[in-house]
Amino acid sequence: MSEQIIPAQGLPAAPLGSWVAWITQRSTLVAGLAIAGLILFIGFVAPFLYPPDPFAIHPDHALQAPSWAFPLGADELGRDELALLLSGGFATLVVALPAAALAFIVGIAYGLTAGLGPAWADRVMMRLLDAILALPSLIILIFFASLVTLNDTSLILLLGLISWPGLARLVRNETRAQRGRDFVLAAEQLGGGRFYIARMHLVRVMAPVLVVNGTFMIGDSIFAFSALSFLGLGVQPPQVSWGSLLESALDIIALDPWWLILPPGLLVFGALLAASLTGQGLLQRWGNGR
Amino acid sequence: MSDVLKLENLSVSLPRGRAGNVAILDELNLTIGAGEMLALVGESGSGKTIAALSVMRLLPRGARVQGSIQLAGTELTALDDRAMRGVRGRDVGMVFQNPLAALNPSRTVAAQIQEAWRVHKGGSIRAARARALDLMGEVGIPQPAQRLDDYPHQFSGGMRQRVMIAMALACAPKLLIADEPTTGLDPLIARQIMQLIARLRREHAMGVLFVTHDLSVVEEHADAIHVLYAGRSVEFGGARQFFAHPRHPYSAALLNSVARLGQARLQNIPGQLPEPEARPAGCRFAPRCAYHQPACDAAYPALIANGGTAAACLFPLPAGGVLQAAPLAKPAGRNYAPQLEVQDLSVRYEEAGGWFGAGGKQPPTLQDVAFSLGKGECLGVVGESGSGKSTLGRAVLQMIPYGGHVLLDGHDLAGLHGPKRRAQRRRLQVVFQDPRESMNPRLRIGDIVAEPLRLQGRISQAETRRRVAALLGRVGLNPELALRLPSAVSGGQAQRIAIARALAAEPEVIVLDEPTSALDVSTQAMLLNLLKDLGQSDALSYILISHDFAVVSYMADRIAVLNAGRIVEMNETARLIEAPQHRYTAALIEAAPQLRSRSR
Amino acid sequence: MIRMITTRLASSSLSIVILVTLVFVMAHLTPGGPAYSILGMKATASSVAQLNARLGLDAPLWKQYAIWWWHLLHGQLGYSYLLNRPVGQLLWQYERNTLVFYISAIVISTALSIGLGLLQGVYYGRWPAKLISALQLGFYALPPFFVAAMLVLWFAVQLPLFPASGITDLRAAHPSIGAYIAHLALPVTTITLLTVASLSRYFGEAVREELGKDYVRTAMAKGVSFPSILFRHVLRNALRPLVTMIGLSFPYIFTGGVIVESVFNYPGLGWLMWRSALSQDYPVLIAIVLIIGLLTVIGNLLADLVNGLLDPRASYE
Repeated sequence: MSEQIIPAQGLPAAPLGSWVAWITQRSTLVAGLAIAGLILFIGFVAPFLYPPDPFAIHPDHALQAPSWAFPLGADELGRDELALLLSGGFATLVVALPAAALAFIVGIAYGLTAGLGPAWADRVMMRLLDAILALPSLIILIFFASLVTLNDTSLILLLGLISWPGLARLVRNETRAQRGRDFVLAAEQLGGGRFYIARMHLVRVMAPVLVVNGTFMIGDSIFAFSALSFLGLGVQPPQVSWGSLLESALDIIALDPWWLILPPGLLVFGALLAASLTGQGLLQRWGNGR
Repeated sequence: MSDVLKLENLSVSLPRGRAGNVAILDELNLTIGAGEMLALVGESGSGKTIAALSVMRLLPRGARVQGSIQLAGTELTALDDRAMRGVRGRDVGMVFQNPLAALNPSRTVAAQIQEAWRVHKGGSIRAARARALDLMGEVGIPQPAQRLDDYPHQFSGGMRQRVMIAMALACAPKLLIADEPTTGLDPLIARQIMQLIARLRREHAMGVLFVTHDLSVVEEHADAIHVLYAGRSVEFGGARQFFAHPRHPYSAALLNSVARLGQARLQNIPGQLPEPEARPAGCRFAPRCAYHQPACDAAYPALIANGGTAAACLFPLPAGGVLQAAPLAKPAGRNYAPQLEVQDLSVRYEEAGGWFGAGGKQPPTLQDVAFSLGKGECLGVVGESGSGKSTLGRAVLQMIPYGGHVLLDGHDLAGLHGPKRRAQRRRLQVVFQDPRESMNPRLRIGDIVAEPLRLQGRISQAETRRRVAALLGRVGLNPELALRLPSAVSGGQAQRIAIARALAAEPEVIVLDEPTSALDVSTQAMLLNLLKDLGQSDALSYILISHDFAVVSYMADRIAVLNAGRIVEMNETARLIEAPQHRYTAALIEAAPQLRSRSR
Repeated sequence: MIRMITTRLASSSLSIVILVTLVFVMAHLTPGGPAYSILGMKATASSVAQLNARLGLDAPLWKQYAIWWWHLLHGQLGYSYLLNRPVGQLLWQYERNTLVFYISAIVISTALSIGLGLLQGVYYGRWPAKLISALQLGFYALPPFFVAAMLVLWFAVQLPLFPASGITDLRAAHPSIGAYIAHLALPVTTITLLTVASLSRYFGEAVREELGKDYVRTAMAKGVSFPSILFRHVLRNALRPLVTMIGLSFPYIFTGGVIVESVFNYPGLGWLMWRSALSQDYPVLIAIVLIIGLLTVIGNLLADLVNGLLDPRASYE
């Protein structure tokens, strides 16, 4: 009935003017998508455009700073850092993206089941979920990584089967919340069955939340894989990934090899930033859509 | 009598999006004397709340205020921020709508009342606490000493509002501003709060600026009325003269659209309030006015005084004009073939939560509810919040588990499952209180209305479009609306869409759960008239659930009064109103807006 | 009040039971089963058979489960043949270092987050809040290993202010405070930077939400000054979601912690877990998983209890 009017009395005045606002009004979404595009390019296209072999050893150029011959310098074995980066990018994306997709599907399935099912099933499933969530995902990842032989497939399965609980809990909470809303009740009264309601109403209303979270999950997946590789439990030699490149650089950090540390770190940062910005931008665009 | 508040040519503009500042309020002039209650009346969007907030200078950033605001001689617009803060709470007290949200849930009631005192008067906590105790007693809170250290959620709605009033009164202000303080409260409680405010204003010789959208609320106690429409004054003057002879067509229409006990027909005001950016240059009400003439559009009419009131209209209504005092003539003793029968209905909740989780409150239960509904009959279910009336509706609709029997055409609905159950449920449709919440925000209007058609079986796109257009037309909407999203329609339109959707299922009974509570008074009238017409033309039966006795009496053939989960009285409408048997019924009738020929 | 505490305790106990069961299942997934967990990977088949018989590991699963609990409640967490020590004894030292690390990080992060969050909420919509927002987004996306590496590069290599490794000093029985500070400075900075990013954002949103609520308007109408409103009204209500968030962020702190500990060779639980994973020392690995899980559940419980105490409504559920 009354409009929401928020008084501004006493709120301190902001220093400086509003020209900063103009800059920050640039679309977050556009920035996120642009960086994402760049990362995808680096990971999937660039490796095939850059000729040098990442694993070729050039001992006389060991630890060379960036130059014309080696655009990003060389590591301690004399390998071309740029080539390594591109190869590492491919390795990272080829595992992290399918893993995120897997986690996405499993999470939604679990969450919908708990959210739409009978109360007792919901309680049991959520209890289990709480216990799983008590264990930090990286810890579980490390544990299981030490058990299995590590290759692309096993890593995809590992990563995919570890990060779904967060999404599952979100989906279940959303489903429960939306289930009791008037328009769902109205649809039931009109003759809609359970599956119809889930398909026509629930998914539609939850779609923005799902997409936003899916975006964040891609970032999480890339992070998890990089972290595992950093700890030596992800990609296995001679394969490299951004995480493992950072780890090798760290071993010789006393020699101040900034060209070996900055690029892989920035790329992981870039990937995570892309995911965050895109998710954030989508959230801003779609609002809460409730 | 010196003026407590004097507004001269007050104009307020607010920043709206990229368009910059838009005028919300234009040249408001009013005065309030000591001990006088002035009701500032208007629909939402009329600018009445902005007027109240500008007196307190509680406007959003970027607001521009022009004109003069004088409080007991002091020019408020000339004060700096610090001095203004001194005025707030000390010389002016304010009471808001929705007391639960307006109180800090994490602090005790005593602390919040004490704050109001200590901010301006300083002093010890003990003195402030004693003052708080006094105030709580004065506003009628029972056992105040025990309740000082309680938290807001431990009080009922009416009690919370009394706490708000105590807070506003802490420093004995000269002016009390009340912004819709009774909206959302049960009618009996609302009446008590009104009486409290009226008494306090006399005892303290306080001026009261009472902001409301509902004229019936202030009928009994207001000394002066000031009507706003689309940001400008439309009529003002002494209350008695106003209610006897409103001059401006808008005021008259407003008075006539309030449902009163025994009213034959509600007047509905066609059209909608114009957006602030799109206000006409001449008389702003002209596009919706029944007496519209070309001269009205030229320029805003000057105020013309007649009798005790002044109206801004070129063609004011003559004295003794268009009031409808026709008492209702409900045909008595109509025979309805029984269609829906409810026997021994009871609802009991083991655990709070689910659809009715209201944050810790015990959900209502029902016991021993029984009634029958005839074909084409409208049964009204009246009760306050917590009486179980909504629960009753949901039980009949088969939305919640219940004990007892609900028989439709003799078939017990509880025993059915699967497709048969769904088929029977379709015959009972529902219209909810919150029109927008009852529609999926991501579906287009056309799909929303078509849903029941599609659920019935295969239907071609062309046929769907045709039938949706027909349904929208029946509820008085433009078929073009089918392409829009729910967020793009008004509350009244949304509720009509909900009705169209219900009709699409070709039901026999429609349960209306507070269908008009969330709407403006004039929209309410339009909706009730629509429902009445549809009921007659389609032979629909209604169960109308509401806390508003007058609305129910307008629509219903029979009324069942619900209190604490039981039906305490049930009878034909006319007989119930004339001779209520139960004390509770009598109290509800007393609190409902009466026909003016019967009031005072 | 009492009822709330007991329900929370009961709920957490149930979580712990489920957690222990989960870890039991995980233990059985290790190659060779719990026997290898106890004996280590290098055990021969005959000694495994012997141990199985002696410990009743050829007994039905439910019996093993009971024995598992028996051992746990007696503090027997297995034996690491690789490091030649009982696991329990091994853990204590590392656990202490980790707790010092994480608690310092949480305390500093909370203090900073409250400050930043207040700024962000108060200046909402204007450039200070937007700047803080942008920084939060940026820092949230920084991977801990990158931040740690950069910090080592700048402050330990290029400017030798801090040590880059903590193994020797902190393995002593009672390390000095100075040693702790020197070795903790960079790791804590890393974790703080990342945690503050998300905590302050959350708190900032909570503050902003509270500032838009009706009771703030009521307080203004009473003439209460803005600082008073902020600290006496808003803070109480906004702290509650913050406490919950801190409880929920424990898993993330552990995650970041493992990585940071490995970068700085800080002898804590995370570091130990990393090395055990690489060398496949399962008894230690399982014990650490268990401990971390327990710490997380306890952390959540504490956060819940604090929240319950802060919220007057909770006592009346």
